[in-house]
Amino acid sequence: MTRRIVISLAFLLLPFGRTASAHHNMTALFDFNDRVTLTGTLTKVDWRNPHTYLIVDVKNAKGAVESWSAEGPSPSWFRIRDIGKADFEASLSKSLTLELSRARDKSLSGLLRTITMPNGRVVSACPQNC
Amino acid sequence: MKNVVRTAIVSAAVLLCCVRFPVGAAAQELSAEAKDKEVAAARAKRNALQFENNARTIVFYDRAGNRTGALGERALYGETIMSPDRSRVAVVKNDLANESADIFILDIATGASTRLTTSARTEFVMAPVWSPDGSRIAYVTILKGQEGIYVRPSNGQGSPELLFQNPGAFLNLSDWSSDGRYLTYAFSDMSGGTLYTLPLAGGPDRKPTQIAHSDLRMFAPKFSPDGRFLSYIVIDKENRPEVFVRSLDPAATAGPWQISEGAASEAYWRRDGKELYYLSRDQSVMVADVSTAPTFSFSKPKVLFKQQAAVPDRLGNVSADGERFLALPPPRGPQLQQITIFDRHGEIVQKVGDPGLYQGPSFSPDGTHLLVTKNDRQTAQSDLWTIELASGKQTRLTNDTFPKVNPLWSPDGKYIYYSSFRNGDFPVYRKLSDGSGNEEIVFRYTPGAFVGLSDFSPDGKFLICDSGGIILAVPLTGDPASRKEIEFLREEFTDGIGRMSPDGKFMAFRSDEAKPEQGEVYVRPFNAATGLPGDGKWRVSKEGVLAMLHWRADGKEMFFRGQNLENNELLVMSVDVSTSPTFTAGTPKVLFKLPGPLGGNLGNISRDGQRFVFAINVPSTGTR
Repeated sequence: MTRRIVISLAFLLLPFGRTASAHHNMTALFDFNDRVTLTGTLTKVDWRNPHTYLIVDVKNAKGAVESWSAEGPSPSWFRIRDIGKADFEASLSKSLTLELSRARDKSLSGLLRTITMPNGRVVSACPQNC
Repeated sequence: MKNVVRTAIVSAAVLLCCVRFPVGAAAQELSAEAKDKEVAAARAKRNALQFENNARTIVFYDRAGNRTGALGERALYGETIMSPDRSRVAVVKNDLANESADIFILDIATGASTRLTTSARTEFVMAPVWSPDGSRIAYVTILKGQEGIYVRPSNGQGSPELLFQNPGAFLNLSDWSSDGRYLTYAFSDMSGGTLYTLPLAGGPDRKPTQIAHSDLRMFAPKFSPDGRFLSYIVIDKENRPEVFVRSLDPAATAGPWQISEGAASEAYWRRDGKELYYLSRDQSVMVADVSTAPTFSFSKPKVLFKQQAAVPDRLGNVSADGERFLALPPPRGPQLQQITIFDRHGEIVQKVGDPGLYQGPSFSPDGTHLLVTKNDRQTAQSDLWTIELASGKQTRLTNDTFPKVNPLWSPDGKYIYYSSFRNGDFPVYRKLSDGSGNEEIVFRYTPGAFVGLSDFSPDGKFLICDSGGIILAVPLTGDPASRKEIEFLREEFTDGIGRMSPDGKFMAFRSDEAKPEQGEVYVRPFNAATGLPGDGKWRVSKEGVLAMLHWRADGKEMFFRGQNLENNELLVMSVDVSTSPTFTAGTPKVLFKLPGPLGGNLGNISRDGQRFVFAINVPSTGTR
């Protein structure tokens, strides 16, 4: 909530428009035009600042399991949206769906755009991560 | 404040009941419900204060700079765009409670307001542009994580139609061509900017055309009325916005042309294509005579009018006939700041210099000088200055357009350290406090990551800063280019403002561990050999902390800025502490209060804890 307010007020102050910015230069690391949607099993949650990480095991087209890393917003970002570490830890070993902007180095990693939790709740990480 | 205390007491009573008479889940649910109510009440109060401090009205000027009228209620306005016939204004209003923003159409003659969009919680609408006949509004919104350009009738009827699904976000929609066939927008990030046009024919598979790309950020493209040229804003390498015009003909060899010599707004074309307007850095409304046939030409821009107010209104839009200038006065009225020093009882002991636009006064370690950020209306620059308290002599330390963030005195007073956003990066610099010499780079963190400076270890060996909720200790040894930060604290909570105890054994910091959206002061041991925390953690505050953590030089008292959600009062809080044999803290008490809103920064308390310096808001004179 606080961050959203800050963003809102920042918009009021910006004379020309919004600029994508974050803790690091996300457009340098991730290609926003190269998106992938993955459904797999959540195997690990790294819940630290400034970014959270979710590790998800996904079966590829050949049936082999690949371990994908999704970089999410900060823990506080989730916390003020009433979804927290406990919700993700309760989702370990369960199936969820992620939409990612893929890493430019084509590794099995990406920037989290949206996540569909095992209970069907959709959480959007935009605009921060878009 | 009383309500917060009352709610806290009620919450505490409920918790005590649960401890003494455990009755199972029902009691726990009640406690959780009470906690939720407390959080909701605090949010509502924060929102009310945000609104009170930032809401504005809309006013109009004519070409002579005379205020001709006002429109609409006080609100948190985003964009304010006049219709082509100058009869209506499309405004974006922010709704703090719903965490959303929506478009409303205001009728200038009657003041009537028509709601155009209704966003779900946490979704928002931005960047409205009028169709040339005024019958439709195109805008940008993010729905379920997908940003798109939508269009709908401007009378509030009908449904939105998706025009373009943006693969990314932060699309800066800014104009609709006079022939109704194209939209134009920009996208900029830390790697540069790109200008696009989007054809409206072609259905849902519309493809944007890239007009230009630069490693500089670009914003606000606007079609010339004949549709042959685009005006736009470029943020140059010195962080200065400038107005440019370029041809839309890919075969054109002439241009682009720089129109402005220092701009502070986007550009606006007159309907006949003969004039181009923008706001200069000194807040003058500028006009350039232009022609687009047979090719583009322009005259040197001249001042159309200049606002006389010490704190001028913000230009929001210009009518297509060039006769009306929409502006947004500063929230809470024009105000300047008077640097004022108080004693421990909140009594004024000294006023320093004349009122101006100041931020963050802070005492030098020996208490003889102040460091202050001063905003110059003529150049629109914010620069660092020192003021000698005995003589009032002011010394300029910087002279550039880059932002200088969290400036700090070094422990020996010889240097000023600050971070600064430059071309996509946020390095830390230092400069001699007597104003001589050039700035030197001190430390470079993750590219693009914000770095906020908060303190030094007493021996000067570590610079303490924070980034993204992490507290960092940077060893100030060796080659600056190879300095590597130590993560003092990196956890799931947002931590920052690390402040070292005078004996160097402890670090106080602000963390939202106890409650989201509310910081409290905590203290942890600091291991000077490793830069890492030792065992133990103490919570010092109980009712919220905004900033201004400060240890008295003898280590026996700590200060912080308390939070009052009932009004804008600044609470200077004091708590008795000890660091030997280990850390102990008493109960925080209010030392004195000042009317706000008022910034409380680091360093605005003298080392001996006897003087407190603030930039106090005072009414400005000379407004028209």
